[in-house]
Amino acid sequence: MTYRTPKASSQPALRQPLWLRLLGLAALALLGVGVTLALFVSPADVNQGNLIRIMYAHVSVAWISFLAVFLTAVFGCLFLWQGRRVHDVWAVANAELALVFAALTLVGGMTYSRPTLNTWWTWDAKLTLTALMFALLVGYFIVRGLIDDPERRGRVSAVVSIIVLASLPFNYLAAEWFRTLHPAKSLALDGSGVTMDSSMVQVLLVNVAAAALLYLYFMLERVRLGRLEANLDEAQDTRSAGAPQEVIHV
Amino acid sequence: MSKAGVGDVAAVVEVARKDLLLELRSKEVVVATLFFSGMVLVILAFALGPDETALRNAAAGTLWTALAFAGVTSASQSYQSELDEGALEQLLLYPLPRATLFLGKLVANWLFMLVLSALLLPLSAAVFGASIAQHLPWLLLTVALGTFGFSLIATFYAALTANLRARESLLPVLIFPIIVPVILASVRASSEVMLLGNPAESRGWVQLLAGFDLVYLVVCTTIFPFVVEE
Repeated sequence: MTYRTPKASSQPALRQPLWLRLLGLAALALLGVGVTLALFVSPADVNQGNLIRIMYAHVSVAWISFLAVFLTAVFGCLFLWQGRRVHDVWAVANAELALVFAALTLVGGMTYSRPTLNTWWTWDAKLTLTALMFALLVGYFIVRGLIDDPERRGRVSAVVSIIVLASLPFNYLAAEWFRTLHPAKSLALDGSGVTMDSSMVQVLLVNVAAAALLYLYFMLERVRLGRLEANLDEAQDTRSAGAPQEVIHV
Repeated sequence: MSKAGVGDVAAVVEVARKDLLLELRSKEVVVATLFFSGMVLVILAFALGPDETALRNAAAGTLWTALAFAGVTSASQSYQSELDEGALEQLLLYPLPRATLFLGKLVANWLFMLVLSALLLPLSAAVFGASIAQHLPWLLLTVALGTFGFSLIATFYAALTANLRARESLLPVLIFPIIVPVILASVRASSEVMLLGNPAESRGWVQLLAGFDLVYLVVCTTIFPFVVEE
């Protein structure tokens, strides 16, 4: 705990710093490379033909959404442990990105299954898991929206994020056993398993890297905004209280 | 957190006894929930049509739907009574680990759900023409594990949402995505027993239930103090 000092050395810059802007441009450039590779360089699949090109966007986005949920819970734990508001800011940034990437995964999965399996929705374990995760994240934000006190809001949403993370393996198992006929198997890339041509793996990895870089950029930008928001909140609180108060140092 | 001692166990029992005694004297929740879940069974029977095989196949699913809806209502009620006279603050003032409060409420909610399912099982067997007599112990084990997992999540989230606006409508939204594995495993395990009379087939589901119960018992008990901290 420190008293707020007039110098604003720990304040995040009001304008986006140059390195962050460069990171955003790099993410955009890598995304361009990934899309080009996926659309023009990657060979068409033996079974699915050109439809395989959806997979590059779908799989990379899905991986990032799970990473983001995991990091939300990690920052939630840190908040519970140390009570520093900045950890809540990091947790929210990750939760918002998890929600966006989960939504993209669902949209991608539906676009993918429409032409390949001739249905908009399949009870595939991974897709079902993503849908449940999406519902859980919506719950996370509903709870957040109902609590005004930032300390309590951070605490309760950290608790929710831990419960959400713990539910994922069970949801996955249940969803997998729910369908004994795995649509994923009919999707196997060469008809026998998840063996993939090495040129395809390379394209996939470039796309995963692009999605990860994009995620990193949005996360850092959201954290920067979140810290500005938190500082504004505290400044307003101190002003309304009319006296110097103890503030949690962000 | 202090080491669990005899005093903590006594506190858990005392909290559970208090909740159950309150319920036994007022009978508010029991009557409402029992009729509510009975209505759910009847409505589902109407919705699924007069075809007897269809009804029998749906028996386990409807039973757990009714139990899940009733469980949400009773869990949110169990904190409602604490909010009225500032009773929760009083409870929290006792020099005991906060987890005892959670475990006590959990035991009370679980016993409540067990009673409810004991009443609903024969009712659903009658309405849906399913058999519950064969392999009864195995069915009871499934019901015990399933309702325990459900009560865990419901009790935890009821505490979490206790002083939030719109908690009545909020609670199912938060609870249901998490208990999907519990509902699914319970329905599958009990329908194996009720329809096919084959407990061996359902062993995997029962193991999933036991694993869920164990993991969430540890997780919820550990982080519950953060939920009620003021």
